[in-house]
Amino acid sequence: MRKYFTLFMEHSAWLLFVLYCSIAILFIRLQQDDVQAMVRSESSEFSAAVDEQLTKLSSLFTLKRENERLMRINTDLLSRVLTLETSAVDERSRQKILADTTLNASGFIMARVVDRKFSDRENMLLIDAGWRRGIKKDMTVLVPEGLVGRVISVSENYARVMPVIHPDFKVVVVADSCGSMGILSWSGGREFTAQVEHIPISSRLKLNERFVTADFSTFSIRGLPVGRVVHLKPDNLFYAVDIRLAVDFSTLTHVLVAPLKINPEKIRMTSDSTVTKTGL
Amino acid sequence: MIKKVYLPLFFLFLTSVMQEFIVSRITLFNVSADVVIIFLAYVAVTTNRNPNTSFGFAAGMLTGFLSGNMGLNMLARTVGSFIVGYFHTPKESHATAKQKSKRFYGAVIVATLCTNAILTAADNPLGFSTVYRIVVFGMLESLYNLILAVILDWLFLRQSLGN
Repeated sequence: MRKYFTLFMEHSAWLLFVLYCSIAILFIRLQQDDVQAMVRSESSEFSAAVDEQLTKLSSLFTLKRENERLMRINTDLLSRVLTLETSAVDERSRQKILADTTLNASGFIMARVVDRKFSDRENMLLIDAGWRRGIKKDMTVLVPEGLVGRVISVSENYARVMPVIHPDFKVVVVADSCGSMGILSWSGGREFTAQVEHIPISSRLKLNERFVTADFSTFSIRGLPVGRVVHLKPDNLFYAVDIRLAVDFSTLTHVLVAPLKINPEKIRMTSDSTVTKTGL
Repeated sequence: MIKKVYLPLFFLFLTSVMQEFIVSRITLFNVSADVVIIFLAYVAVTTNRNPNTSFGFAAGMLTGFLSGNMGLNMLARTVGSFIVGYFHTPKESHATAKQKSKRFYGAVIVATLCTNAILTAADNPLGFSTVYRIVVFGMLESLYNLILAVILDWLFLRQSLGN
Protein backbone atom coordinates (compact mmCIF):
# COMPACT_ATOMS: atom_id res chain seq x y z
CA MET A 1 0.00 0.00 0.00
CA ARG A 2 2.80 2.29 0.97
CA LYS A 3 4.47 1.38 -2.26
CA TYR A 4 1.42 2.47 -4.26
CA PHE A 5 1.10 5.66 -2.25
CA THR A 6 4.74 6.49 -2.91
CA LEU A 7 4.27 5.78 -6.59
CA PHE A 8 1.20 7.99 -6.64
CA MET A 9 3.01 10.84 -4.93
CA GLU A 10 5.99 10.55 -7.26
CA HIS A 11 3.82 10.82 -10.33
CA SER A 12 1.13 13.04 -8.91
CA ALA A 13 1.87 15.79 -11.43
CA TRP A 14 1.29 13.41 -14.34
CA LEU A 15 -1.81 11.98 -12.75
CA LEU A 16 -3.15 15.46 -12.14
CA PHE A 17 -2.31 16.40 -15.70
CA VAL A 18 -4.11 13.33 -17.06
CA LEU A 19 -7.09 14.04 -14.84
CA TYR A 20 -7.34 17.66 -15.98
CA CYS A 21 -6.88 16.71 -19.61
CA SER A 22 -9.57 14.07 -19.29
CA ILE A 23 -11.95 16.60 -17.83
CA ALA A 24 -11.11 19.06 -20.59
CA ILE A 25 -11.61 16.41 -23.27
CA LEU A 26 -14.89 15.44 -21.65
CA PHE A 27 -15.98 19.06 -21.87
CA ILE A 28 -14.94 19.23 -25.50
CA ARG A 29 -16.92 16.07 -26.21
CA LEU A 30 -19.94 17.45 -24.45
CA GLN A 31 -19.64 20.66 -26.41
CA GLN A 32 -19.44 18.72 -29.66
CA ASP A 33 -22.60 16.86 -28.78
CA ASP A 34 -24.24 20.19 -28.21
CA VAL A 35 -25.32 19.05 -24.81
CA GLN A 36 -26.65 22.45 -23.87
CA ALA A 37 -28.98 22.51 -26.82
CA MET A 38 -29.93 18.92 -26.13
CA VAL A 39 -30.63 19.67 -22.48
CA ARG A 40 -32.59 22.78 -23.48
CA SER A 41 -34.58 20.80 -25.98
CA GLU A 42 -35.24 18.02 -23.50
CA SER A 43 -36.22 20.47 -20.81
CA SER A 44 -38.56 22.22 -23.23
CA GLU A 45 -40.17 18.92 -24.13
CA PHE A 46 -40.42 17.98 -20.49
CA SER A 47 -41.99 21.29 -19.49
CA ALA A 48 -44.35 21.10 -22.49
CA ALA A 49 -45.42 17.61 -21.48
CA VAL A 50 -46.00 18.73 -17.89
CA ASP A 51 -47.93 21.77 -19.13
CA GLU A 52 -50.05 19.58 -21.37
CA GLN A 53 -50.93 17.27 -18.51
CA LEU A 54 -51.72 20.22 -16.26
CA THR A 55 -53.89 21.74 -18.96
CA LYS A 56 -55.75 18.47 -19.36
CA LEU A 57 -56.22 18.28 -15.63
CA SER A 58 -57.46 21.85 -15.36
CA SER A 59 -59.76 21.34 -18.32
CA LEU A 60 -61.55 18.67 -16.30
CA PHE A 61 -62.37 21.24 -13.65
CA THR A 62 -63.46 23.83 -16.18
CA LEU A 63 -65.48 21.40 -18.28
CA LYS A 64 -68.84 22.68 -17.14
CA ARG A 65 -67.93 26.28 -17.88
CA GLU A 66 -66.50 25.25 -21.25
CA ASN A 67 -69.67 23.35 -22.09
CA GLU A 68 -71.77 26.36 -21.20
CA ARG A 69 -69.59 28.57 -23.35
CA LEU A 70 -69.87 26.16 -26.28
CA MET A 71 -73.61 25.96 -25.76
CA ARG A 72 -73.85 29.74 -25.95
CA ILE A 73 -71.81 29.73 -29.15
CA ASN A 74 -73.98 26.97 -30.59
CA THR A 75 -77.12 28.86 -29.72
CA ASP A 76 -75.77 31.99 -31.31
CA LEU A 77 -74.73 30.14 -34.46
CA LEU A 78 -78.03 28.30 -34.65
CA SER A 79 -79.88 31.58 -34.34
CA ARG A 80 -77.82 33.06 -37.15
CA VAL A 81 -78.35 30.03 -39.37
CA LEU A 82 -82.09 30.11 -38.75
CA THR A 83 -82.25 33.82 -39.51
CA LEU A 84 -80.31 33.36 -42.72
CA GLU A 85 -82.33 30.35 -43.80
CA THR A 86 -85.59 32.15 -43.09
CA SER A 87 -84.40 35.15 -45.05
CA ALA A 88 -83.39 32.90 -47.93
CA VAL A 89 -86.76 31.15 -47.96
CA ASP A 90 -88.59 34.46 -47.82
CA GLU A 91 -86.50 35.83 -50.64
CA ARG A 92 -87.12 32.71 -52.75
CA SER A 93 -90.87 32.97 -52.18
CA ARG A 94 -90.82 36.66 -53.05
CA GLN A 95 -88.83 36.03 -56.20
CA LYS A 96 -91.15 33.22 -57.16
CA ILE A 97 -94.18 35.50 -56.96
CA LEU A 98 -92.47 38.35 -58.77
CA ALA A 99 -91.15 36.01 -61.48
CA ASP A 100 -94.63 34.95 -62.56
CA THR A 101 -95.04 36.55 -65.97
CA THR A 102 -98.77 35.95 -66.21
CA LEU A 103 -99.43 38.29 -63.32
CA ASN A 104 -98.56 41.96 -63.33
CA ALA A 105 -97.75 42.40 -59.67
CA SER A 106 -96.58 45.97 -59.93
CA GLY A 107 -99.79 47.38 -58.44
CA PHE A 108 -100.11 44.74 -55.79
CA ILE A 109 -98.87 44.79 -52.24
CA MET A 110 -96.78 41.88 -51.19
CA ALA A 111 -97.21 40.51 -47.71
CA ARG A 112 -96.00 37.63 -45.66
CA VAL A 113 -98.27 35.19 -43.92
CA VAL A 114 -97.28 35.54 -40.27
CA ASP A 115 -99.99 33.45 -38.66
CA ARG A 116 -102.72 31.07 -39.65
CA LYS A 117 -105.41 29.07 -38.08
CA PHE A 118 -106.33 25.94 -39.96
CA SER A 119 -108.92 23.42 -39.01
CA ASP A 120 -111.52 21.36 -40.80
CA ARG A 121 -114.18 24.02 -40.04
CA GLU A 122 -112.72 27.46 -39.85
CA ASN A 123 -109.52 28.87 -41.29
CA MET A 124 -107.95 32.28 -41.03
CA LEU A 125 -104.71 33.93 -42.19
CA LEU A 126 -102.83 36.89 -40.75
CA ILE A 127 -100.54 38.89 -43.03
CA ASP A 128 -97.90 41.44 -42.07
CA ALA A 129 -99.37 44.36 -43.96
CA GLY A 130 -101.93 46.77 -42.53
CA TRP A 131 -103.46 50.13 -43.35
CA ARG A 132 -100.03 51.74 -43.02
CA ARG A 133 -99.10 49.93 -46.23
CA GLY A 134 -102.42 50.62 -47.90
CA ILE A 135 -104.34 47.49 -47.05
CA LYS A 136 -108.10 47.95 -46.85
CA LYS A 137 -111.02 45.75 -46.02
CA ASP A 138 -112.36 43.59 -48.86
CA MET A 139 -109.17 43.64 -50.85
CA THR A 140 -108.46 40.46 -52.80
CA VAL A 141 -105.63 38.28 -51.60
CA LEU A 142 -103.99 36.08 -54.20
CA VAL A 143 -100.91 34.28 -55.36
CA PRO A 144 -99.87 33.57 -58.96
CA GLU A 145 -101.50 30.15 -58.69
CA GLY A 146 -104.90 31.64 -57.85
CA LEU A 147 -107.29 33.20 -55.36
CA VAL A 148 -106.40 33.01 -51.67
CA GLY A 149 -109.17 34.99 -49.99
CA ARG A 150 -110.23 38.45 -48.97
CA VAL A 151 -109.20 40.92 -46.30
CA ILE A 152 -111.82 41.13 -43.58
CA SER A 153 -110.16 43.33 -40.99
CA VAL A 154 -107.15 45.62 -40.93
CA SER A 155 -104.93 47.00 -38.19
CA GLU A 156 -101.93 49.30 -38.46
CA ASN A 157 -99.47 46.62 -39.50
CA TYR A 158 -101.51 43.47 -39.93
CA ALA A 159 -104.59 42.28 -41.74
CA ARG A 160 -106.81 39.26 -41.28
CA VAL A 161 -107.64 37.29 -44.38
CA MET A 162 -110.59 35.03 -44.80
CA PRO A 163 -109.34 32.32 -47.14
CA VAL A 164 -111.33 30.45 -49.72
CA ILE A 165 -111.41 27.54 -47.33
CA HIS A 166 -113.67 29.27 -44.84
CA PRO A 167 -117.35 28.34 -44.48
CA ASP A 168 -118.44 31.98 -44.78
CA PHE A 169 -116.42 32.67 -47.89
CA LYS A 170 -118.27 32.85 -51.19
CA VAL A 171 -117.27 34.14 -54.59
CA VAL A 172 -118.82 34.05 -58.04
CA VAL A 173 -116.82 31.90 -60.41
CA VAL A 174 -117.09 31.12 -64.08
CA ALA A 175 -115.98 28.03 -65.99
CA ASP A 176 -113.13 28.69 -68.37
CA SER A 177 -114.49 26.93 -71.50
CA CYS A 178 -118.26 26.63 -71.23
CA GLY A 179 -118.79 29.90 -69.33
CA SER A 180 -121.09 28.36 -66.73
CA MET A 181 -121.29 30.43 -63.59
CA GLY A 182 -121.67 29.35 -60.00
CA ILE A 183 -120.87 30.29 -56.45
CA LEU A 184 -117.76 28.86 -54.90
CA SER A 185 -117.96 27.85 -51.28
CA TRP A 186 -116.22 25.55 -48.84
CA SER A 187 -118.15 23.34 -46.53
CA GLY A 188 -115.33 22.04 -44.38
CA GLY A 189 -113.30 18.86 -44.59
CA ARG A 190 -110.33 18.67 -46.89
CA GLU A 191 -108.56 22.01 -47.43
CA PHE A 192 -107.89 21.43 -51.12
CA THR A 193 -111.46 20.70 -52.16
CA ALA A 194 -114.30 23.24 -52.49
CA GLN A 195 -117.77 23.18 -54.02
CA VAL A 196 -119.40 25.20 -56.78
CA GLU A 197 -123.12 25.65 -56.45
CA HIS A 198 -125.88 26.77 -58.77
CA ILE A 199 -124.58 25.29 -62.00
CA PRO A 200 -127.60 24.01 -63.92
CA ILE A 201 -127.53 20.49 -65.29
CA SER A 202 -128.08 21.96 -68.73
CA SER A 203 -124.56 23.32 -68.56
CA ARG A 204 -121.84 21.74 -70.72
CA LEU A 205 -119.46 21.57 -67.78
CA LYS A 206 -116.89 18.79 -67.93
CA LEU A 207 -114.37 17.26 -65.62
CA ASN A 208 -111.03 19.03 -65.28
CA GLU A 209 -112.51 22.28 -66.44
CA ARG A 210 -110.97 25.36 -64.85
CA PHE A 211 -112.88 27.92 -62.83
CA VAL A 212 -111.83 31.54 -62.56
CA THR A 213 -113.30 34.46 -60.68
CA ALA A 214 -116.10 36.28 -62.46
CA ASP A 215 -116.53 39.97 -62.93
CA PHE A 216 -119.71 39.78 -60.87
CA SER A 217 -117.76 39.55 -57.64
CA THR A 218 -117.97 42.58 -55.42
CA PHE A 219 -114.40 42.27 -54.19
CA SER A 220 -112.39 39.94 -56.39
CA ILE A 221 -110.67 40.96 -59.55
CA ARG A 222 -111.73 39.05 -62.61
CA GLY A 223 -110.01 36.03 -64.10
CA LEU A 224 -108.20 34.72 -61.04
CA PRO A 225 -107.84 30.92 -61.19
CA VAL A 226 -109.77 29.13 -58.48
CA GLY A 227 -109.47 25.43 -59.29
CA ARG A 228 -110.39 22.55 -61.56
CA VAL A 229 -113.42 20.28 -61.60
CA VAL A 230 -112.60 16.92 -60.06
CA HIS A 231 -116.09 15.62 -59.36
CA LEU A 232 -119.31 16.29 -61.25
CA LYS A 233 -122.66 14.82 -60.18
CA PRO A 234 -126.04 15.90 -61.60
CA ASP A 235 -128.76 16.59 -59.05
CA ASN A 236 -132.38 17.62 -59.57
CA LEU A 237 -131.73 21.05 -60.99
CA PHE A 238 -128.05 21.66 -60.48
CA TYR A 239 -124.77 19.87 -60.63
CA ALA A 240 -122.96 18.99 -57.44
CA VAL A 241 -119.49 20.14 -58.42
CA ASP A 242 -116.30 19.53 -56.46
CA ILE A 243 -113.22 21.42 -57.53
CA ARG A 244 -109.62 21.05 -56.51
CA LEU A 245 -108.40 24.46 -55.41
CA ALA A 246 -105.55 26.02 -57.33
CA VAL A 247 -103.83 27.32 -54.21
CA ASP A 248 -102.01 25.00 -51.85
CA PHE A 249 -102.82 26.58 -48.50
CA SER A 250 -100.46 24.30 -46.64
CA THR A 251 -97.42 25.93 -48.26
CA LEU A 252 -98.58 29.50 -48.31
CA THR A 253 -95.88 31.90 -47.15
CA HIS A 254 -96.22 35.05 -49.25
CA VAL A 255 -99.29 36.59 -50.82
CA LEU A 256 -100.21 39.53 -52.99
CA VAL A 257 -102.98 41.93 -52.08
CA ALA A 258 -104.78 43.40 -55.07
CA PRO A 259 -106.04 47.00 -55.07
CA LEU A 260 -109.59 47.47 -53.97
CA LYS A 261 -112.11 47.06 -56.69
CA ILE A 262 -114.17 50.25 -56.34
CA ASN A 263 -117.27 50.56 -58.37
CA PRO A 264 -119.89 52.28 -56.17
CA GLU A 265 -122.43 52.53 -58.91
CA LYS A 266 -122.32 48.82 -59.56
CA ILE A 267 -122.53 48.10 -55.84
CA ARG A 268 -125.51 50.39 -55.51
CA MET A 269 -127.28 48.82 -58.47
CA THR A 270 -126.68 45.26 -57.25
CA SER A 271 -127.17 45.86 -53.55
CA ASP A 272 -130.89 45.27 -53.75
CA SER A 273 -130.65 41.91 -55.47
CA THR A 274 -127.40 40.40 -54.11
CA VAL A 275 -127.31 40.65 -50.37
CA THR A 276 -125.20 38.25 -48.43
CA LYS A 277 -123.44 38.41 -45.15
CA THR A 278 -120.00 38.38 -46.64
CA GLY A 279 -120.64 39.55 -50.17
CA LEU A 280 -119.84 37.72 -53.35
CA MET B 1 -2.47 30.24 2.71
CA ILE B 2 -3.82 33.58 1.52
CA LYS B 3 -0.55 34.44 -0.20
CA LYS B 4 -0.15 31.01 -1.75
CA VAL B 5 -3.68 30.31 -2.97
CA TYR B 6 -6.17 33.17 -2.80
CA LEU B 7 -3.90 35.93 -4.05
CA PRO B 8 -2.83 33.97 -7.16
CA LEU B 9 -6.45 32.96 -7.70
CA PHE B 10 -7.47 36.61 -7.52
CA PHE B 11 -4.77 37.53 -10.04
CA LEU B 12 -5.84 34.64 -12.18
CA PHE B 13 -9.43 35.90 -12.20
CA LEU B 14 -8.23 39.44 -12.86
CA THR B 15 -5.99 38.46 -15.77
CA SER B 16 -8.70 36.19 -17.24
CA VAL B 17 -11.24 38.99 -17.22
CA MET B 18 -8.70 41.42 -18.64
CA GLN B 19 -7.75 38.93 -21.33
CA GLU B 20 -11.30 38.27 -22.47
CA PHE B 21 -12.66 41.78 -22.30
CA ILE B 22 -9.68 44.03 -23.00
CA VAL B 23 -6.51 42.41 -24.29
CA SER B 24 -8.13 40.02 -26.78
CA ARG B 25 -9.71 43.02 -28.51
CA ILE B 26 -6.34 44.67 -29.15
CA THR B 27 -5.08 42.81 -32.21
CA LEU B 28 -2.17 43.29 -34.56
CA PHE B 29 -2.09 41.17 -37.72
CA ASN B 30 -5.15 39.33 -36.39
CA VAL B 31 -3.22 38.25 -33.30
CA SER B 32 -3.51 39.51 -29.74
CA ALA B 33 -1.35 38.96 -26.66
CA ASP B 34 -2.38 36.60 -23.87
CA VAL B 35 -1.77 37.90 -20.36
CA VAL B 36 -3.14 34.69 -18.81
CA ILE B 37 -0.24 32.78 -20.35
CA ILE B 38 2.20 35.28 -18.91
CA PHE B 39 0.62 34.83 -15.51
CA LEU B 40 0.75 31.04 -15.82
CA ALA B 41 4.41 31.21 -16.88
CA TYR B 42 5.18 33.27 -13.82
CA VAL B 43 3.35 30.74 -11.61
CA ALA B 44 5.21 27.91 -13.36
CA VAL B 45 8.57 29.46 -12.63
CA THR B 46 7.79 30.24 -9.00
CA THR B 47 5.72 27.23 -7.88
CA ASN B 48 5.67 23.47 -8.19
CA ARG B 49 4.21 21.64 -11.13
CA ASN B 50 1.07 20.44 -9.32
CA PRO B 51 -0.31 23.84 -8.35
CA ASN B 52 0.90 25.19 -11.65
CA THR B 53 -1.09 22.57 -13.58
CA SER B 54 -4.10 23.26 -11.39
CA PHE B 55 -3.80 26.96 -12.09
CA GLY B 56 -3.64 26.20 -15.79
CA PHE B 57 -6.78 24.12 -15.53
CA ALA B 58 -8.55 26.85 -13.54
CA ALA B 59 -7.38 29.52 -15.99
CA GLY B 60 -8.73 27.43 -18.87
CA MET B 61 -12.01 27.04 -17.06
CA LEU B 62 -12.30 30.78 -16.43
CA THR B 63 -11.32 31.95 -19.89
CA GLY B 64 -13.37 29.16 -21.45
CA PHE B 65 -16.39 30.19 -19.42
CA LEU B 66 -15.94 33.79 -20.50
CA SER B 67 -15.23 32.96 -24.14
CA GLY B 68 -17.78 30.15 -24.50
CA ASN B 69 -15.26 27.44 -25.39
CA MET B 70 -14.54 25.86 -22.06
CA GLY B 71 -13.25 22.40 -22.98
CA LEU B 72 -10.65 23.57 -25.47
CA ASN B 73 -9.38 26.38 -23.23
CA MET B 74 -9.10 23.99 -20.31
CA LEU B 75 -7.10 21.52 -22.37
CA ALA B 76 -4.83 24.10 -23.97
CA ARG B 77 -3.97 25.93 -20.78
CA THR B 78 -3.57 22.72 -18.75
CA VAL B 79 -1.14 21.35 -21.32
CA GLY B 80 0.68 24.67 -21.55
CA SER B 81 0.97 24.97 -17.78
CA PHE B 82 2.10 21.38 -17.39
CA ILE B 83 4.82 21.74 -20.02
CA VAL B 84 6.18 25.00 -18.66
CA GLY B 85 6.37 23.26 -15.30
CA TYR B 86 9.84 22.23 -16.53
CA PHE B 87 10.86 25.90 -16.17
CA HIS B 88 10.22 25.76 -12.47
CA THR B 89 13.12 27.17 -10.50
CA PRO B 90 13.20 26.01 -6.89
CA LYS B 91 13.98 28.55 -4.23
CA GLU B 92 16.97 26.57 -3.11
CA SER B 93 18.48 26.60 -6.59
CA HIS B 94 20.55 29.75 -5.92
CA ALA B 95 19.64 30.99 -9.42
CA THR B 96 20.11 34.70 -10.00
CA ALA B 97 17.26 37.03 -10.84
CA LYS B 98 18.55 37.29 -14.39
CA GLN B 99 18.53 33.53 -14.78
CA LYS B 100 15.05 33.36 -13.39
CA SER B 101 13.94 36.08 -15.79
CA LYS B 102 15.38 34.11 -18.69
CA ARG B 103 13.50 31.01 -17.56
CA PHE B 104 10.40 33.14 -17.22
CA TYR B 105 10.78 34.40 -20.80
CA GLY B 106 11.37 30.85 -22.00
CA ALA B 107 8.27 29.68 -20.12
CA VAL B 108 6.22 32.46 -21.71
CA ILE B 109 7.36 31.48 -25.21
CA VAL B 110 6.85 27.73 -24.73
CA ALA B 111 3.51 28.17 -22.99
CA THR B 112 2.32 30.50 -25.73
CA LEU B 113 3.39 28.13 -28.51
CA CYS B 114 1.80 25.10 -26.85
CA THR B 115 -1.42 26.84 -25.92
CA ASN B 116 -1.69 28.58 -29.27
CA ALA B 117 -0.98 25.32 -31.13
CA ILE B 118 -3.84 23.54 -29.39
CA LEU B 119 -6.23 26.49 -29.60
CA THR B 120 -5.58 27.30 -33.24
CA ALA B 121 -5.53 23.64 -34.29
CA ALA B 122 -9.03 23.15 -32.98
CA ASP B 123 -10.54 26.56 -33.56
CA ASN B 124 -10.16 28.39 -36.88
CA PRO B 125 -12.44 31.40 -37.02
CA LEU B 126 -10.44 33.22 -39.71
CA GLY B 127 -10.07 30.29 -42.12
CA PHE B 128 -6.28 30.21 -42.33
CA SER B 129 -4.39 26.97 -42.89
CA THR B 130 -3.44 24.96 -39.80
CA VAL B 131 0.31 25.29 -40.30
CA TYR B 132 0.05 29.00 -40.92
CA ARG B 133 -2.03 29.44 -37.82
CA ILE B 134 0.25 27.38 -35.62
CA VAL B 135 3.51 28.78 -36.92
CA VAL B 136 2.80 32.38 -37.82
CA PHE B 137 0.15 33.15 -35.26
CA GLY B 138 2.04 31.18 -32.63
CA MET B 139 5.24 33.10 -33.30
CA LEU B 140 3.47 36.43 -33.43
CA GLU B 141 1.62 35.78 -30.20
CA SER B 142 4.85 34.55 -28.60
CA LEU B 143 6.53 37.77 -29.64
CA TYR B 144 3.73 39.92 -28.23
CA ASN B 145 3.70 37.91 -25.00
CA LEU B 146 7.48 38.10 -24.72
CA ILE B 147 7.43 41.88 -25.12
CA LEU B 148 4.70 42.13 -22.49
CA ALA B 149 6.58 39.71 -20.20
CA VAL B 150 9.79 41.78 -20.50
CA ILE B 151 7.92 44.96 -19.68
CA LEU B 152 6.15 43.35 -16.72
CA ASP B 153 9.41 41.81 -15.59
CA TRP B 154 11.13 45.17 -15.61
CA LEU B 155 8.26 46.92 -13.92
CA PHE B 156 6.96 44.45 -11.33
CA LEU B 157 8.24 40.90 -11.44
CA ARG B 158 12.01 41.22 -11.24
CA GLN B 159 12.01 41.82 -7.52
CA SER B 160 9.57 38.98 -6.98
CA LEU B 161 11.59 36.60 -9.10
CA GLY B 162 14.77 37.66 -7.35
CA ASN B 163 13.27 36.73 -3.99
